[in-house]
Amino acid sequence: MSTNDVKEKEVLVSVKHVDVTFTNGRKKFRAVTDANFEIYRGETFALVGESGSGKTTIARAIIRLNDISAGEIKFQGKKINGKLSKEDKQWVVRNIQMIFQDPAASLNERATIDYCVSEGLYNFNLFENEEDRVRKVDWALEQVGLLPEHKSRYPHEFSGGQRQRVGIARALIMEPSFIIADEPISALDVSIRAQVLNLMNKFKKENDLTYMFIAHDLSVVRYFADRIAVIHLGRIVEIAPSVELFRYPLHPYTNSLLQAVPMPDPEIEKAKTFNAYDASQEVMDETSRLREVRPGHLVFMADSEVEKYKQKLEDMEKLHHAE
Amino acid sequence: MTEMDKELFTFQRADDSESEHIAAPIYSYWRSVFRKFFSSKIAIVMMILAGIVILLSIFQPMISGYDPMKTPYINTPSMKYIRPNLTYWFGTDDKGNSLFDAVWAGTRNSLFISFMATTITTVVGVAVGMWWGFSKRVDVVMIEVYNVISNIPATLVAMILVYAIGSGIWQLIFALSITSWVGTAYFIRVQVMIIRDREYNLASRCLGTSTFKIITHNILPYLISVIMTAVSRDIPSFISYEVFLSFVGVGLSEKDPSLGRMIQQYSPYLVSTPYLFWIPVVVSAFISVSLYIVGQTLADASDPRTHMI
Ligand SMILES: Nc1ncnc2c1ncn2[C@@H]1O[C@H](COP(=O)(O)OP(=O)(O)OP(=O)(O)O)[C@@H](O)[C@H]1O
Ligand SMILES: [Mg+2]
Repeated sequence: MSTNDVKEKEVLVSVKHVDVTFTNGRKKFRAVTDANFEIYRGETFALVGESGSGKTTIARAIIRLNDISAGEIKFQGKKINGKLSKEDKQWVVRNIQMIFQDPAASLNERATIDYCVSEGLYNFNLFENEEDRVRKVDWALEQVGLLPEHKSRYPHEFSGGQRQRVGIARALIMEPSFIIADEPISALDVSIRAQVLNLMNKFKKENDLTYMFIAHDLSVVRYFADRIAVIHLGRIVEIAPSVELFRYPLHPYTNSLLQAVPMPDPEIEKAKTFNAYDASQEVMDETSRLREVRPGHLVFMADSEVEKYKQKLEDMEKLHHAE
Repeated sequence: MTEMDKELFTFQRADDSESEHIAAPIYSYWRSVFRKFFSSKIAIVMMILAGIVILLSIFQPMISGYDPMKTPYINTPSMKYIRPNLTYWFGTDDKGNSLFDAVWAGTRNSLFISFMATTITTVVGVAVGMWWGFSKRVDVVMIEVYNVISNIPATLVAMILVYAIGSGIWQLIFALSITSWVGTAYFIRVQVMIIRDREYNLASRCLGTSTFKIITHNILPYLISVIMTAVSRDIPSFISYEVFLSFVGVGLSEKDPSLGRMIQQYSPYLVSTPYLFWIPVVVSAFISVSLYIVGQTLADASDPRTHMI
């Protein structure tokens, strides 16, 4: 995988000091606090955290569905948050697409599959003539394993897996360079999860895509993602290449998430103890931020914790080499 | 273990596309709406009856040429107060005119007023409601307009307006619809706010779909059923508004016959010649009920959730 590439990586998406605040009447709720990360071209970047941690909120901020209250989001070096010209907005749509969390809710029930898949084509006139449009739609449907005869059908006639593939087809047809997949398989039956993941991997290779993949448990992204960011209550607590994260999970919250990942070894499973993560044990002061423990591995910590984490990493490394 | 005979096995090709077929017949929204509607016997009967009434009120006055200002038999006592019979199906009135002619000419105006007021209310109400539901800035203004208008009795507004601008069919239509669209708009606004942020609309925005197209392609189709419900409530309510306003003596002038004016005009005969009073009342009630049932059944049938069962 591309994680150990020595050559300079190109930053595709950069999220800097991003806050997202929701206002309900007079109450304010900060769903995301000081999010900082970069996504490199060609990689699969995973965002993992429990329900309500702000994963969808970050995704929607990038794709301009949510306004951000602080910070800056860049795509290919160009600022894409806040007010944009019409051309820039269209540029964002053409380049960034999203696969939604709930396949039951993300398709227009009153439109045929033909319209659902062609919607983006119509918006940008991305076809020469009707024939060309039909050809493109058929191509997109074929890519996700659906049939041309499905075009005249309505979403309610499809299974969850089929709907999710319609959702993938309508994103693919836009030929984006970056796709945000918001828990694309969490609403699906276990038996078809692998099918959707394999499809996504295939498209990534064929079309030079970059993914941001959102999941709520680490086991899903272990082999799928190149790098993983762990988010807890709107704050990113650890970012590392996925091999590294599984080998040396430093932040206690990452540890608690890892406990939930089933191991194919009954001895390990038996010996597991479950420690609920308790955020109050963390040091939290004005110096708290993501810091690099070693190149590419960032952990959220205060100044006073730097030594502690360095030591923790060393200990883990020793243990790992001893095994 | 005994050796298995390999000959017994053949490789079976797995064809994924086989499992993708949908066996159910092609679904068509409008065909399902019609199938659902025509599965209700009451609705069919009511539709036929309402259809007859509408046709009668359109064509009968053309044939009879009824004009309330023309009273050729006003000085012929033998032509007055004839009870319903085979020549004069609904009898004749105090001026010697055929009530049958008068009823359909009146129904024509009453229906016209009600249909026009309903159309204006629905078109304006839905258009404003959509805008209202999508724009925060419009919301701030419209919520005040709504609070003011919904707190003034609509009948009072209509009465004052008719006094001010004079009586007549168009004046009455204007007076009836000037306030009524606000209610429809508010109702649509709430519906829009409920479905506006559903994931499929966010998905459309991510595909670059304009707000206008989201309204026409994503929101309106979902609201067909509730709009139909509102229409089927509005039509009878405008008929009764007209009847009420004419009954209290505002609304239409002498020369425009209507069900309301007839009921008002004939109410003194409730005891002496009751058919003069009761026939227009029954016709007006009959139209209201039949149109309401047709509308409600259509509203029900246009909700796709009813198509599966
Ligand atoms: N439009 C909104 N208005 C107010 N609060 C919101 C809004 N959208 C999300 N939130 C809140 O923000 C927090 C983060 O929500 P978000 O949807 O990003 O979580 P998530 O990580 O995607 O969770 P899940 O795994 O359940 O999808 C939640 O507490 C949620 O209640
Ligand atoms: Mg989510």
